Amino acid sequence: MIKSDQVLSTVEMIQKENLDVRTVTMGINLMDCRGGGVEETCRRVEERITTVAKNFVATCDDVSKKFGIPVVNKRISITPIAYVGAGFDRHGFVELAKALDRAATTVGVDILGGFSAHVEKGMTETDREYIASLPKALAVTEKICASINIATTKKGINMDALTLVGQTVKELAEQTAESGGFGAAKFVVFCNQPGDNPFMAGAIHGVEESDLVLNVGVSGPGVIARALERMIDNVGRENIKLDDLAEEIKQTTFRVTRCGELIGREVSKAMNIDFGVVDLSLAPTPTVGDSVGEIFQILGVDEVGAPGSTAILAMLNDAVKKGGIFASKAVGGLSGAFIPVMEDQVLADAVGSGALCLEKLESMTCVCSVGLDMVPIPGSVDAATISAIIADEMALGMINQKTTAARLIPVPGKGEGDYVSFGGLFGASPILPIRNIGKSQRFIDWGGRIPAPIHSFKN
Amino acid sequence: MSKQMVISVMSKDRPGIVADITGAIYNLDGDLADLNQSVLCGYFTMILIASFDKKVTAEDVIAKFSHIESETKLEVVVKEIDEEIDTTSSGQSDMVYVLTAQGKNKSGLVAQMGEFCREHNINILDLDTTLNRGLYTMILVIDLAGTNSIDNVRADLETFQAKTELKVVMQHEDIFKITSDVNLH
Repeated sequence: MIKSDQVLSTVEMIQKENLDVRTVTMGINLMDCRGGGVEETCRRVEERITTVAKNFVATCDDVSKKFGIPVVNKRISITPIAYVGAGFDRHGFVELAKALDRAATTVGVDILGGFSAHVEKGMTETDREYIASLPKALAVTEKICASINIATTKKGINMDALTLVGQTVKELAEQTAESGGFGAAKFVVFCNQPGDNPFMAGAIHGVEESDLVLNVGVSGPGVIARALERMIDNVGRENIKLDDLAEEIKQTTFRVTRCGELIGREVSKAMNIDFGVVDLSLAPTPTVGDSVGEIFQILGVDEVGAPGSTAILAMLNDAVKKGGIFASKAVGGLSGAFIPVMEDQVLADAVGSGALCLEKLESMTCVCSVGLDMVPIPGSVDAATISAIIADEMALGMINQKTTAARLIPVPGKGEGDYVSFGGLFGASPILPIRNIGKSQRFIDWGGRIPAPIHSFKN
Repeated sequence: MSKQMVISVMSKDRPGIVADITGAIYNLDGDLADLNQSVLCGYFTMILIASFDKKVTAEDVIAKFSHIESETKLEVVVKEIDEEIDTTSSGQSDMVYVLTAQGKNKSGLVAQMGEFCREHNINILDLDTTLNRGLYTMILVIDLAGTNSIDNVRADLETFQAKTELKVVMQHEDIFKITSDVNLH
C-alpha cells in the first residue's frame, strides 16, 4: 500500500523538479571488429553499432513513455578506439571517427564516446598517431567525444602524453575557432578513468566489460535543491543543522537513483542486454532550476567560490554517494557532484563576478567528481600552461585515489571579461581568468613520468 | 467440499466490530481468504472473501451477523460464488498507474474523474481523496490494460486538466513502489 504523502512527494519530484534520467548509455565492445585495414575495420565497426543498437533509441523512448520519466540522452560508448585501430596512422583514425559518426547518426543516438586511449604509463606509436588525429577527427565529426587517460594512482602520470595533450587542446580549439573552440569541449583528459561511466565526454566501454552493457546516468540537482528548500520552509531554518540537510540529500538521492534503476532495468530487459551500473551524479544543465551551484547557495554560501564552498561540496558529494549506493544494486561510473562551469548558470555567474577562480575550482575538485570541467579560458594561454594546469588536476586524482578530469577550452580570440556560448546542454560562461601564464614551461619540458605514488605511509 | 462467499458489511464504527464479524465467520467454521476494511468519518466498511462448508447458506451468515450490536443497523450483503476465486492473484495487469489530481474544491470533481475513466475503459482499483484548506486531492490507482493507447489517455488528460482546472499527473505504479520501498522488487 503506497501512502498518499509518498505519492504526492514523488509526483512533485518528477513533475516540478526536473527529475529525468540524464542518459542511458549503451556500451559496445568493438575489439573483434578489427579488419585487415582501415576500410574493412570502419565497415565492421559501423555494421556492429548499427546492428546491436538498432532499436536502442526507440526502446528508451518507449520505456520513458511508459513510466513518464524523460530519458534526455541516448548515448553509445565503445571500446577505447586506440585498441581497435592498433597500427593505424592519424588518417586511419580520422576515418574511424567518421565511420563512428555515421553509425551514431544512423541509430539516432545523441553522442558516441570512446574515441579514446589509455596512456597512463607509456605511449605506443599508435597512441601518438591517435593523439595526432584528434583535432581533425573531432572537427570533421558531430557526435564523437574523445577522452584520454594519462594518469592513474597505480602508474603515475605520463608527462610525455601530457605535453602532447596540452598542444592538442589548443589545436582542437583553434580548428573549431568559428564555434568558440567547441572542439575542445568534446575532449576530456582523465586520471583513473572509469570504464563504465555513462556521462560524456568521458564515457568509454572499458576493456574489462562484456560485449554489451547498459549503464544509466541519473542526475537531478534540481530535485535536491527543491527538497532542501522544502525542508527549510517546513521545519524552519533555526531548527535545522547541517547533518539534517545531509540526511535530506541522502534520502532524496535514494529516490532519484531508484528511478534510474527502474528505467535501466526495463530497457535492459526489453533489449536483452546486461544492465551495468547506475551512475548518480549531480550533473547540472544550463536550465534554470537545474544547477549544482544553486545547492551551494541553499546550503549557505552567497556565491560559489566563497570560503566554505569546498566543505559544502564535500558534504554534498558524500551524501549523494551514500544515498545512491544504497538505492542501486550496482553503482558505478563517477557517482558524485559535477561542477562543470559552462553547464551551470550559477557557477558561470560566479566566474563572471570573480567569486570563483581557477585555484578554488581546483581545490573543490579534490572532494567531488570530476574535475576542471567545461572551463573556458583565454585563447592566448600557451600549451605548456594548459598542460601544467592539467598536470595539477591529475596529481589530485593520483594521490587521492579518485577520478579527476580536465576539460579546458582555450577560446580562440577571447580573453578575460569576454563571454562564450555553445548553446544547448553545453551552456555558456564568462572566460575564467588564468594567473601565472607562461611560468611552467620548464616543468613541462622535462617530459617522462611522474612515478606512481607510495601506497602506504599515508599521512 | 466448500464454497466461497463474498461478504460486505457497513455500519457505524466502534471498537470490537472486526472481532465480532470475523468471530461470527469463525463460529460457522468459515475460513477467511482475504479482506479489506476501511473507516471513513466514523463509518466502517469491510469486504471479505471466506470459504464455508457447502451446507452453510448465505442466510446462515446473515443470521449470525444479526446478533452483532451496532449503533446503526449492520448492513450486510452476502454473495455465494460459484467459480473458484484465486486469492493469490490481484487480478491487476502490469499497466497499473497512479493518477493524482489536485485543485480547488468544487462539487463534481470525482464524478468527472470517474466519467473520464469510464470513457477510456480505465478500471479504478483504489481511490483516496483528501480536502486540506480548500485544496482537494484525489489519488487513484488505475489499470490501463483496457485502454487502446496510453498516449491517447495522456493527451486527453491534458484536455481534462484544462476543463476541470485540476492539476493531473499520471505515473506508473512501479515508480512509487521503487522510490518508497527499501526492497528492490
